[in-house]
Amino acid sequence: MKRYIDFYLASMKISILEQIQYSVANYFYMIGMITEPVIYLVVWTTIAKQQGGSAGGYTVGAFAAYYIIWTLVRNMNIVFTPYGWEWRIREGRLSMELMRPIHPIHGDVAFFAGWKFVVILLWLPLAAILSWIFRPTFDIRWMEVIVFALAIWGAYLIRTMLLSLLGMITFWTTRVSAIFELYFGLELILSGRLVPMTIMPAWVQSLSNYLPFKWTFFFPIEVLVGNMTDAQLWSGICMQALWVGSGILILNLIWGFAIKQYSAVGG
Amino acid sequence: MNPIKLALTYLRIGVLNEMQYRVNFFIQLLQSFISVATGLIGLSLVFGQVTTLAGWSRPELLAVMGVHLLMGGVIRSIIQPNMERLMDDVRNGTLDFALTKPADAQTLISVREFRFWQLVDVIVGMVVISIAFFQLKSSLGIFQLLGFLAALLMGGVMLYSVWLMVTSISFWVIRVQDISNLFEGLYAAGRWPIGIYPDWLRTGLTFLVPVAFAVTVPAEALTNRLDGTSLLFAFGMTILFVIFARGLWLLGLSNYSGASS
Amino acid sequence: MTPAISVSKLSKHYKVPEREGGMKAAVASLFNRKYRTVKAVDDISFSIEPGEIVGFLGPNGAGKTTTLKVLSGLLHPTEGMVNVIGYEPTKRSHDYLRQVALVMGNRNQLSWDLPAIDSFELQRAIYSIPASEFKKTRDDFIDLLELKDLVNKPIRNLSLGERMKMEIVGALLHRPKVLFLDEPTIGLDVTMQRRIRAFIKEYNQRWGATVLLTSHYMADVEALCKRVIVIHHGQTLFDGELSRLVTQFSSFKTLGVTLPNPEADLSQYGEVLTRDGARVTLRVAKSKTSQVTANLLSDLQVDDLTVEDTPIDDVIDSVFTSTEEAK
Repeated sequence: MKRYIDFYLASMKISILEQIQYSVANYFYMIGMITEPVIYLVVWTTIAKQQGGSAGGYTVGAFAAYYIIWTLVRNMNIVFTPYGWEWRIREGRLSMELMRPIHPIHGDVAFFAGWKFVVILLWLPLAAILSWIFRPTFDIRWMEVIVFALAIWGAYLIRTMLLSLLGMITFWTTRVSAIFELYFGLELILSGRLVPMTIMPAWVQSLSNYLPFKWTFFFPIEVLVGNMTDAQLWSGICMQALWVGSGILILNLIWGFAIKQYSAVGG
Repeated sequence: MNPIKLALTYLRIGVLNEMQYRVNFFIQLLQSFISVATGLIGLSLVFGQVTTLAGWSRPELLAVMGVHLLMGGVIRSIIQPNMERLMDDVRNGTLDFALTKPADAQTLISVREFRFWQLVDVIVGMVVISIAFFQLKSSLGIFQLLGFLAALLMGGVMLYSVWLMVTSISFWVIRVQDISNLFEGLYAAGRWPIGIYPDWLRTGLTFLVPVAFAVTVPAEALTNRLDGTSLLFAFGMTILFVIFARGLWLLGLSNYSGASS
Repeated sequence: MTPAISVSKLSKHYKVPEREGGMKAAVASLFNRKYRTVKAVDDISFSIEPGEIVGFLGPNGAGKTTTLKVLSGLLHPTEGMVNVIGYEPTKRSHDYLRQVALVMGNRNQLSWDLPAIDSFELQRAIYSIPASEFKKTRDDFIDLLELKDLVNKPIRNLSLGERMKMEIVGALLHRPKVLFLDEPTIGLDVTMQRRIRAFIKEYNQRWGATVLLTSHYMADVEALCKRVIVIHHGQTLFDGELSRLVTQFSSFKTLGVTLPNPEADLSQYGEVLTRDGARVTLRVAKSKTSQVTANLLSDLQVDDLTVEDTPIDDVIDSVFTSTEEAK
């Protein structure tokens, strides 16, 4: 355990030092990403105004709050992509990573976790500007802040598990971009990335209850934007933990097969 | 060399090249369907709440989506690949090969790449537009069609000019790779009619990145919202964009010092 | 003494899908793929004692890298047994990985944008190296390779050779008992190659590490390895002392003759290899060397005469071409 903590701290330090050097590039990237939520926000603000100030239970200010928090959650959700897996296998980097006495996925989690600290710091001024333009309304309790601070890391871990699983498909085949795009399409609809889940038809909402996606977007955002009771907040965290746990189990299982495949065909 | 002949030659090479990877056609088709599906879901969510959005009915917004898809296909098959190759060439100092050919350099760098399968989006876009038209139950007049085609052409030329301007900047500032990302993000704004955006954003989407002219104006032509004055205005803007782009390109080129830099 | 590395009857075969052109074949191959077997390594055996440095030679595609990868645990053997310092590499146990290192000349591990000293810290954490031992090893290595002024500069600002030195330091910080070096000096200039060679030798002597090395540069092999294993088409051609390789495979010697009369025709004595003014080199069958030497001395006025073994590069070349022709 101590050895993992040591590894995580060292690894996060490296990635923070690296990413600070690239603050400008990081900023450009973040600004580029902001167009997506702004488009959604404008569309739903227009609708809410047309209907006299609210749509699907969200006021204009609540929509603004939703999509501004969205930008932070989206940044937390950036993890090692399936395309990255394809690259690391093709370039032989995975071989070098496999020579270390530590699981490569630990390396990914630690590296991106360090990066997140830089991202959160860079996000604060962006959030201030967006708030000044779009005037969100918040009603935040301190308990929500605590749970939010946990929930964004839960979202990060769940999405890491999902995309690692997806990425491992590249151990078997390289023609996978269509599968990845299908996944991203599903995620867009079922996670709350496109619209708050409560605007979705009832059957979509109940479907999303059985899937991990909404715990990576809708739940963390709703912690701050919605009005959940303490019990709801904490049971949400438990759900996230459950998904992370099952993710780890499935990941380990598939990893065994993946490595078998890798060491059979070359590295 | 005749620029049209030149373009056609490269086009043929591009098609022949891509025909080797025919599986990509199905992958592209699947990806187009995914983006149409998510677009339709977005529309149905909006119209689950309201009957018109900023004065646009559901089939009209479907037409906007079709135009957006069509123009996106054009960007990804011709404009973006050529401009990204140009950026790479400037960065690696390998542009010399293009500059030493006996043809206008701007024409040459604009036609070297062609991603044939991306045109699937153009076809799918046209299908979506046709469906929208069918739903609108209106007939397409000859002037309406001409106006649409003219607007589409001008929009394409404007987008190309903006890309060329931004890419020309790479002659001075080498790190512009993230531009593609930013551009894609901004182009996504065109999925909805430009009128819904706040003033500052609308101005940007009209004059800086002319998504308004590339998508909304052609869609307006289709849905009978366009008058001659706007079309004339678009024409004037196109000329301006082309002149600016040409100027910046030439200026950048004179600044290019090749691989030795 | 039990060997550090023992390989017996190792084979590694790959199944490679056969591709045919055209859409129909592409679709058909989704369901019913045809494979052909490639024997990258085909029944090789050898064992290496602790502390030995062994050169692993062979042309591209001979199976060198495949063997190294099997020994590192990255590849499963198709057949045969592999044992490295008491471990079965394929199990990739963390204890095993902590005691070996695989260095590939064209792969980099250290962060491109940071000074090496920061990346070394990460290596420490990965291999759980105790802090005091880590500091000592690191500073020793830095001294040996004269990197003191460079460890605080971002890797991207270093030359290729300096970068490789840093990579080697990073890869050996955990003081592995077994080193697999795949082309460690590839692309480097001669001075840099020499430095890295000297360092590998020093490391081997100081810690008694076992080293298995592949290289295209015979100079590396000559300087480091007493023993070489030559493989070709996945099979062992030779395993033994480097000097014996020369005597076994080279049936020629090179005679160098300096004559006062540069015009003299020497082709009756042997194959003329070079002619540089008064100096002529001849290739002569080994068995005839003494006879030819005697003839030369009696027939002509000779200022100087030398007899040398064929250069190792040429020997290796002739080994591969002769087996190629035999096939």
